[in-house]
Amino acid sequence: MTFARLPGTRSLRLALGAVRERTGAPGAELYVKAGNTRRIEIDPWMTPLPVDPDDLDTQVSILDERGWALRAGGANRALFLADSGPLPEPNGWRRLSRHSLRPGSLRLPSPSSGTSPSPAADLAEHEPDDEETAGLALLHGVLRRLGERMPEARLIRGRLDTGASAAVLASTTGVTGRTALRLATVELDFAASRDGRQGHCRLYRAASSLQMLSADSIASEIAERLTLATALAPPFLPAGEVAVSPALGCYLLALLAPLLRGRSGWRRLRKLGAGRPLGPPQLQIVDDGALDAGWVSAAQDDEGVPTRAVALVRDGEPGEPLLSWEDDGWSGFAAAGCRRRSGWRALPEVCHSHLYIAGGSEPAESIRAGIVHGCYLLDRAHDGQCHATFEASTNGNAGGLGEGRFEVDAIGLIIRRGVVLGEAPRVRLTGSVRQLLQGIRAIGDDLRFLPAPGAVGAPTLLLTGLQVEAIG
Amino acid sequence: MRSNANGAEQRTLLTSDVAAPADALTRLVAHGGQQFEAFFERVESVELVPKGAPNRVRQRKEQGLAVRKIENGRSRLAAADTISGPAFAACCDRVAGTARSIGTAPPRIRTGRWPALRLAEIEQAESRLTRAVNRHRVGFPMEINARRHRRHVQVIRSRVAAPPQFEEYFSLQVTTPWGVWGGLLPSLAAEDLDPVALCLVDRLRSRGLPPHRPGPGVIVLGPSAAAVLLHEVVAHALEADTLALSGSPDQVVGLKLGGPELDVVDDPRSAPLACKRSSDDEGTAAISRWLLRRGRVRQPLADLVWAERYPSMIPGAARRASRHRLPGPRTTHLELLPGAIPERELFAEAAGGLYIGEFERGNLDPFDGRCVLRAPCGRRIGASGPRDHTGPVEIRSRAVDLLAAVAAVGDRPLAGGAGWCAKDGALLPVWARCPSVRLEGLEVAD
Repeated sequence: MTFARLPGTRSLRLALGAVRERTGAPGAELYVKAGNTRRIEIDPWMTPLPVDPDDLDTQVSILDERGWALRAGGANRALFLADSGPLPEPNGWRRLSRHSLRPGSLRLPSPSSGTSPSPAADLAEHEPDDEETAGLALLHGVLRRLGERMPEARLIRGRLDTGASAAVLASTTGVTGRTALRLATVELDFAASRDGRQGHCRLYRAASSLQMLSADSIASEIAERLTLATALAPPFLPAGEVAVSPALGCYLLALLAPLLRGRSGWRRLRKLGAGRPLGPPQLQIVDDGALDAGWVSAAQDDEGVPTRAVALVRDGEPGEPLLSWEDDGWSGFAAAGCRRRSGWRALPEVCHSHLYIAGGSEPAESIRAGIVHGCYLLDRAHDGQCHATFEASTNGNAGGLGEGRFEVDAIGLIIRRGVVLGEAPRVRLTGSVRQLLQGIRAIGDDLRFLPAPGAVGAPTLLLTGLQVEAIG
Repeated sequence: MRSNANGAEQRTLLTSDVAAPADALTRLVAHGGQQFEAFFERVESVELVPKGAPNRVRQRKEQGLAVRKIENGRSRLAAADTISGPAFAACCDRVAGTARSIGTAPPRIRTGRWPALRLAEIEQAESRLTRAVNRHRVGFPMEINARRHRRHVQVIRSRVAAPPQFEEYFSLQVTTPWGVWGGLLPSLAAEDLDPVALCLVDRLRSRGLPPHRPGPGVIVLGPSAAAVLLHEVVAHALEADTLALSGSPDQVVGLKLGGPELDVVDDPRSAPLACKRSSDDEGTAAISRWLLRRGRVRQPLADLVWAERYPSMIPGAARRASRHRLPGPRTTHLELLPGAIPERELFAEAAGGLYIGEFERGNLDPFDGRCVLRAPCGRRIGASGPRDHTGPVEIRSRAVDLLAAVAAVGDRPLAGGAGWCAKDGALLPVWARCPSVRLEGLEVAD
């Protein structure tokens, strides 16, 4: 498979000239993206493990994706048009006219609003490797190792995607940008039955390359989760400390995302502290579009605005908001490149790229071992609740904002003085968002990222003041 | 080439002779156990977002193709985001694993013009819906996001080219101060917007009410709510891939799931006018498929791969979210055949019960058969039918218990309950036509 070459910025400028001439639009921007994906799906439908690789029904898809999006217009009239395939030649825009612009508005970033000239280097196009064999070997490796650890496990379905994409953009304001990334993701669903108790688990992991995904650690994680999911419910749960693993910490942080972006999020975050610090002094929450070795790391966002690390919570206090170039200078804060597109069909929207709680200095193992009487929660329960609500206050205060509450179903262990007393196949962790942040007592040193829209990262956290109850 | 089942204006995706790619596919076949198929797709969506948003009109167009090899129940698919002879030849090479698999010259493949943009009907949606709401003597602020979807599909399987398929439908998202309503509509005409207005008015009147927790009793489901219930507990439950999670899919044939009043059919040919299908996304002729006949399972939903694995299964229910996804067995247009009981009599002796007009969400756990259905509001049933509004209602029950609770089926089927089915992340439009149904002895939880 050959990777389709992206047009150069000169071609984009020629096309932009043609668009402006046809439509009369004061401004225009073109975004072109190409990518390829090799997908392996296995549907053994509850096949017992270990399974002979030849008995697996594998479905392989090789996908070439390519498309572009045009934004054109001004203060009163605008156009958004996205299409698949290569960018039309300069004379291929004849279907556009002044009537193509409809009521609406368009604003585009300019180099003066925080953008920098595009790097002169050419786009590093990825020659896709034939990763099918490696992908199948990884999946077979996971199944073999899991079969050794837990022969009663059954694979429901599995999916492995490896791919690369590259994008280029240019606008009439002089902004240009290029991004490229590679990603491998694996999503596995397993079920198991122990003493008549059914349990399920779903694992979704990502890495910059297939080689960085380890069959052994994936199999180990699945076995751990299935063992907990099929455990006997405990007669009681201690109501003390709760330590959460990096995996569950990522889900908790993802629930807080609405508080951590834009002006409205900032206002809510400021009110959340209610005169007290948001969290302990060692709490740092960061969003960094240019994170070293990050999965979606790029020097610019999808509008060509430079990315940077934004300390959303610094030393337990609100740091600075994540603002797009349109809000640059709001309340004295600087913008960062944070508008991303989910694909060539989508308009750019403010979103996080690598949102994470920075790792602390305390070894994660000592946090777990230091639990006097509490729970260590490992991951979300399969198909359980995981949501937060940030509804407006109903107490009559004009413009009052609700405190926000969250609810997450999890699997975990009951621990007393570092000793595992029992397993908890399904518990519900609830509380207010304020309690969640202010109740952080320790932050581990094992920061880990999980795929979300973008990437979300967290280390092991020790939490207090939250409610834990056994369910179902 | 024959016209599409929906009888709409003839629209052809491929203007070149389909015999050329069909011949090329036959050259790929190395032995009788292999099947090759080409899938050509063109999709357009035009979206009008509320005033004040940037880029109010958003037009997205795309077309592409996929070539698939099926052998021993395994698929190998290659897809490209363009329709052309060279792209087709490249995809053939990828699934065959050899260069120049169909010869040195790629077949000539040409596409027709895109249909005209036609924005007027989308632009009128807001004023029409506002008028429909005002007819209920209420008015409230609404932000309307209207989108028209068009999809052309042409499938060629070895020497056979299925009739080209064309679908056109609309999606609406209405944001009010007390929540968001979203759904699919076959058109933006007044008769399709009136039920939307009724849902919005019901939500207005039930705003701020606490969740409703009635005890066991009679529940009457309106046509839209009944459609969502059947989608979850009949259609999803009888998809071959769902059935395979708990055993052999063909073993459910003959199983009694409900009473004799339950006759449920999946028939893509009788979907709303512009959404009718005469063949599925694998090019197999669509059929009127009895899912339940007098409460017993007759024929699960299957595609080619599942029909190959279980010969008693009939293909024809394959659907793809896009050329980039493999097909899977899914419902298209679900029908609950009408019973003999007049609509009014469904409410007889139901005083104190609950009427649910719509469910906004439904979910079936394929492992334990538990189903959760969420309604934004309900209405208490009085002596003369539905009256006071209630807050949100959640029904949690096993699928078999829900079907067993169906005690009566109304005599007036209506189109309703259309929406996006998001199983396995593949977003597909689904349609339904149902009468109201009466459930008895079912427990309702918050």
